[in-house]
Amino acid sequence: MAAKPVTSPVPVAWYPSLAVLMLSIGLMVTASFFIYEATSSRRNRSLSKEIASGAIASVFLGFGSLFLLLATGVYV
Amino acid sequence: MSSFDEVYFLFMDTNECIVSLQIDLTSHIVRVLCTLKVENLGPDVASEILLTFPNSQAMKLANLKTLYNEGKGKGSSAFNLLVSEVHPEGAPQEITFFSVSLRDRLEKGKSLILTVLAIFTHTLQPFPDEITQGDIQLVLYQDSAYFLSPYVVKSQTLNIMLPGGRVESYTKHPNGRIVDSAIKYGPFENLPPFSYSPIAVHYENNSPFVVAQELVREIEVSHWGSIQVTEQYNLVHKGATNKGGFSRLDYQARAYMGGKSSLRRLTARLPPRAHSVYYRDDIGNISTSHLWGDSRKTQLEIEPRFPMFGGWRTSFTIGYGLPLEDFLFVLEGRRFLNITLGSPVDEVVIDDLIVKVILPEGSKDISVSVPFPTKQWQETKYLHLDLVGRPVVVLEKTNVVPEHNIYFQVYYSFNNLSLLREPLMLILGFLFLFIACIVHVHADLSISKSSASYIAKLQWDEVQATVQRVQNIINKCLSIHEKLETSLQDLYRTGDVQSCKVARKTADGLLKELSKELKPLTIFLQSSPQAAQIWPKVDELVAKEKEMQEKLMQKHSAIVDCFEKKHSGRDIESRVAPYQQKLIALKQEIDDLLDFIDEI
Repeated sequence: MAAKPVTSPVPVAWYPSLAVLMLSIGLMVTASFFIYEATSSRRNRSLSKEIASGAIASVFLGFGSLFLLLATGVYV
Repeated sequence: MSSFDEVYFLFMDTNECIVSLQIDLTSHIVRVLCTLKVENLGPDVASEILLTFPNSQAMKLANLKTLYNEGKGKGSSAFNLLVSEVHPEGAPQEITFFSVSLRDRLEKGKSLILTVLAIFTHTLQPFPDEITQGDIQLVLYQDSAYFLSPYVVKSQTLNIMLPGGRVESYTKHPNGRIVDSAIKYGPFENLPPFSYSPIAVHYENNSPFVVAQELVREIEVSHWGSIQVTEQYNLVHKGATNKGGFSRLDYQARAYMGGKSSLRRLTARLPPRAHSVYYRDDIGNISTSHLWGDSRKTQLEIEPRFPMFGGWRTSFTIGYGLPLEDFLFVLEGRRFLNITLGSPVDEVVIDDLIVKVILPEGSKDISVSVPFPTKQWQETKYLHLDLVGRPVVVLEKTNVVPEHNIYFQVYYSFNNLSLLREPLMLILGFLFLFIACIVHVHADLSISKSSASYIAKLQWDEVQATVQRVQNIINKCLSIHEKLETSLQDLYRTGDVQSCKVARKTADGLLKELSKELKPLTIFLQSSPQAAQIWPKVDELVAKEKEMQEKLMQKHSAIVDCFEKKHSGRDIESRVAPYQQKLIALKQEIDDLLDFIDEI
């Protein structure tokens, strides 16, 4: 059995565009989260909706910032 | 060890060799290439051959390689033979012995040819040891004209290669002579074992004696696609020391006059596709470097901040990134890193080489395979986004020459899921931020729960919530209106009266439900003192919406009616026109009211 080279899970050339894409989606969801927090009144705010949008935003921001780090040369 | 005794004495009398020695003194690293033809004359079979060096040389021995060529001509293949240091009994104390294990036993009367490469460092002695900037560097080399061997040497030649230039003196010998830039001794015939005849060569050698007193190489593996190499050099010029100061003017304007032995530049041969190369020191970036490359190599030429003369030292760091797929492989479920050990810089002697391989967090079962003995231990290092730290394999080797720059392997096992650790940490970090926001918004931080302003605030919250719900219901009603309009458009297009009626019925039901929902809300708003200001507007909104509903229904039934009676298009238009105008006006008013309420 010959040794196979190990490659990165995502092609290195995609990192910058993935970072831009995921960070912009993440920031948009974050914006909608804060708009919701600020505009809906205390009584009819739904916790599940808040947590869901927070979770989606953090997934996108998390991966986006990871790809940003990788694209700038900080290989974690 | 008794067998060694035997071997030793057996060899003393019964082996014979023909030797051709070649000593390369062109740089500051001494390379002795020795071709031995060994013949077994004794009665027994030999499995080992002994090589000997005086202790003073053995101390400076950096690398000893023995190659055995099997076959001749094109079909020949060279094998590396195992060499180990031995201490045979009864041997002279001032001589170090190395034993070469043969692949096949050497039968009586047979002979074989071995090639031995011995590399010595710190052997050339600058003499004089202090020179001015304009002087050339003269060095002294001392060795034996005879090949030091426990065997009888039948015939031997010695060829010392010099870099050219002046030869101050060399030991005269009956059959020693200088030919071009080489000194030839021999052939010597029938030398008894352990023959020794000291010789010295005093000659010009202007190559800079670059010695890295310490080199720390950090190889950081990231499974996200890169291997980062950082090399910290602590260089010193070990040639004749500079005296009488340094003149930059003479050095630069009259370069032919002096500074011949100074170190101007170093060339590092990096692997192909190296990227993000940097060259800096404690002050910052050093701009005197050039980089070029092709598909086979990347070449980095660096100049220190100042030309280095004998005794001067400098320290700097070079770093580069390498593509992961060129150096990291997977074999039977285990991964291994296959990378070179030594420095990529040409002709540098490294006194103390420390190689640190930083593996990704979560690597297990680490093992190292290095083709020569090194000191090894493990450490833990914390880098970005680490929880438990990364395992670090440290290799240390002293007295390293460029010939040590060969591949070594670090094997480890790694679960691909561990790759998700870093993103997961970032995600959890952001999530924590959002949760903190949610908690902050939801928490009631007021101290006095019974104060008038607090109660007023609570009531106002309730009013706001109710108003929002009213708004939501109105919006829903408006969307039902839209649906009715589209059903009318479908009717225009298809003429399907029945489905239009169904649409109207469902819309009717929905609107009724919504108005039922609306009722308690309006009652609350009406009774609440806090809502006194906003109530008229909400009331107006609800009323307008109701009116709009009615008008829309009338319009809807009128059109359906016309379709059933098969009126002409113009007729329908004239009937619907008044409703239409009213509806548009109402819609506008409702929008205005919604905007107004929104702003409160």
